[in-house]
Amino acid sequence: MKKFLALLLSMAMVLSLAACGGEDKPAPEGPDQGTEDTEAKTVKVGLICIGDENDQGYTYNFIRGKEAATEALEAKGIHVEWVPKFNVGEDSTCEDANVELAEEGCDLIINNSFGFEPHMLKVAPDYEDIQFVACTNQASWQDDLPNTHNAFANIYEGRYVAGVAAGMKLQELIENGTIKPEEAMIGYVGAYSFAEVISGFTAYYLGAKSVCPSVTMKVKFVGSWSNPTEESNAASALADMGCKIISQHSDNTTPATMAQSKGAFHTGYNNDMSGVAPEASIIGTRIDWAPYFEYIIEAVANGEEFDQDWCHGLDEGAVAMTPLNEKIAAPGTAEKLAEVEKAIVDGELKVFDTKTFTVEGKELTNAFALDTDGDFTPDSEEAVFDGAFHESYHQSAPYFTLKIDGIEWLNSAF
Amino acid sequence: MNEQKTPLIRLAKRDDMDPKRVWAIRGASFLVAILIGAIIFMVMGHNPFSAYGTIINGALGKKTAIRQTVKNAIPLLGTALAIAPCFKMRFWNIGAEGQITAGAVAASYFALFWADKLPAPVLLVVMAVAAAIAGGLWGLIPAFFKAKWNTNETLFTLMMNYIIIGVVKWLQGGPWEGRPGSQIIPQFEKSACLPKVFGVHCGWIIVLVLTVLMYIYMSKTKQGYEIAVIGESLNTARYAGMNVGRIIMRTMFISGGISGLVGFVVASGADNTLHAGVAAGVGFTAITVAWLAQLNPFAMIGISGLLAVLQKGATTLQTRMEVPASISEIITGIFLFCMLGCEFFINYQMIFRHKENKEAKA
Repeated sequence: MKKFLALLLSMAMVLSLAACGGEDKPAPEGPDQGTEDTEAKTVKVGLICIGDENDQGYTYNFIRGKEAATEALEAKGIHVEWVPKFNVGEDSTCEDANVELAEEGCDLIINNSFGFEPHMLKVAPDYEDIQFVACTNQASWQDDLPNTHNAFANIYEGRYVAGVAAGMKLQELIENGTIKPEEAMIGYVGAYSFAEVISGFTAYYLGAKSVCPSVTMKVKFVGSWSNPTEESNAASALADMGCKIISQHSDNTTPATMAQSKGAFHTGYNNDMSGVAPEASIIGTRIDWAPYFEYIIEAVANGEEFDQDWCHGLDEGAVAMTPLNEKIAAPGTAEKLAEVEKAIVDGELKVFDTKTFTVEGKELTNAFALDTDGDFTPDSEEAVFDGAFHESYHQSAPYFTLKIDGIEWLNSAF
Repeated sequence: MNEQKTPLIRLAKRDDMDPKRVWAIRGASFLVAILIGAIIFMVMGHNPFSAYGTIINGALGKKTAIRQTVKNAIPLLGTALAIAPCFKMRFWNIGAEGQITAGAVAASYFALFWADKLPAPVLLVVMAVAAAIAGGLWGLIPAFFKAKWNTNETLFTLMMNYIIIGVVKWLQGGPWEGRPGSQIIPQFEKSACLPKVFGVHCGWIIVLVLTVLMYIYMSKTKQGYEIAVIGESLNTARYAGMNVGRIIMRTMFISGGISGLVGFVVASGADNTLHAGVAAGVGFTAITVAWLAQLNPFAMIGISGLLAVLQKGATTLQTRMEVPASISEIITGIFLFCMLGCEFFINYQMIFRHKENKEAKA
């Protein structure tokens, strides 16, 4: 009896396997053909993400961009079929993900993390008709592959604007007599001591300085993109040193909550943080990927080429400000920010205007932008001209790494 | 009185099962795994037939898919081979993860700093040898302590994993970092990358050769016999005059060495760089592979292949049907659970209380 039962079970297993095998032809075609529309143009876009929407920061921001772009394109008669892949590692699994999306028939494949690029570049040469994008990285200008692209946003513009809001708050405190002018101090929690972060906090500082001339800044690096405890500790240490404003270039909201508990003010990144720290967080800035996604997908739909190295800011809406927390912002902030944003978009205001800062006591007259020999020190392309340092001009990824006067590095982390 | 003390179910060891029944149980467990997986797909709102179809098609349907599947299977097979002799000896080496990483570190050192000084074939051989030695030494440390002071090898090998992974994290952000702040070690030069054969890096040839060698080593050599004796009974081994400590250390060096070689294969062949996740949990999954294959090297080819198919198929499933990536881990887990669980029913029989009573009355 038992033998018979065992036999029966194994028969059933073989049959079920056969049934599975028989099904495998129609399966892959199902989702593909359902969306094949003769009227509207359909673009199949792969999106490889290092995290997923649960990070409420980096990848979530891409997903928001994806959704906004899909809606905008739908209005233009372009249907986007997204094939997202989440929680992909910066190793050969990223290569596999690129191959798989290419094999699935994607017209465009977007890699959202810096560390994906080297793996993407191993796949791109095999699929010349597919466009590959590595967000926030920088190989496309020298890799000789016409189908690879980079994109970034001039987030430093948003930080400058946030800096203005912070500076106005400090100036208000000075005028109230709450603090003395020399006590106007900003504490900045940075992830790592490299260009993206340095460029960001320098812009932030210059924004604050434009409205509060006596401001100084202290920067503490935590050596991680996302370490809630370390970020909180850094914010706490900075507040204890007397910083009245805390800002951050890291992924968590803990600096905001810590600032609130220490009675300091705060400006955020990636997300509106006034929800978690309503008495501290004045404003935030974030990259909005929607304009870029819209631009490239439309180009692919129309069979056109698009920029290999794209970088825009407030002008194209690639950088957005989160809603101003009117309850705690200094009076007149909203009007001032609107004015500053307009000036940046019009080109009247240059964020890294060399008249507004000094390096080792001297005005900056030259600085290189690009590294051509691979030693990670810029050696070519002059970035300083027309009275300003031109960030993200020669390539989309930031390259401002100067230590300007008024900003004190408490440590560094690479 | 007696009846109350007898538990409802009692277990008894058995080792006389008919091989046909053994395989029927294994087949049935596979079927159960498929059925449970199907229920999960249905709960998530997907047709289980098309889901399984997608898995098979995604893993084996195209040339590129097969290549990726093979690439996934390589480290699994290699590491299962590595830990087989330890497990045969009943030395619970769960440090393959660290031994792989140690091998990858040594290989990467030569890939990063000797690529311009050595011709490609020599460089690859140097990398392989360095990786094997580094992995071997990483395995030798816990073996030495076990042999000398009878420390617990399970904990020791496990802890060694975290040390070497920490070392790699430090290298990534410190001395070997490429662009400052990137936390990424640069890609190796072409000469330090394993060449491809039939579209997959030639690590697959290495592990297949290792499979044959491991089979011969385990079943045809004196050392293999010694390992088996120690596994069966330490006292017998001692009585027979074997130097148990020496054999433990030797076996762990070989085991760690093979794991180290796998580390070289993964770093040089698949990732073309070193990162903290180079072992990617393979050191643990390989334990399951080795165990399911009952430490038979040839059976490991099949088991690692099956797991690789599940792994690759599940990513395609995610792409095509938009199921979360974690579903792949759930499905793989179910398969492993059922397949390992069924060994229990092969090795033990359950005796129910009432049945025994009837027997007693009869």
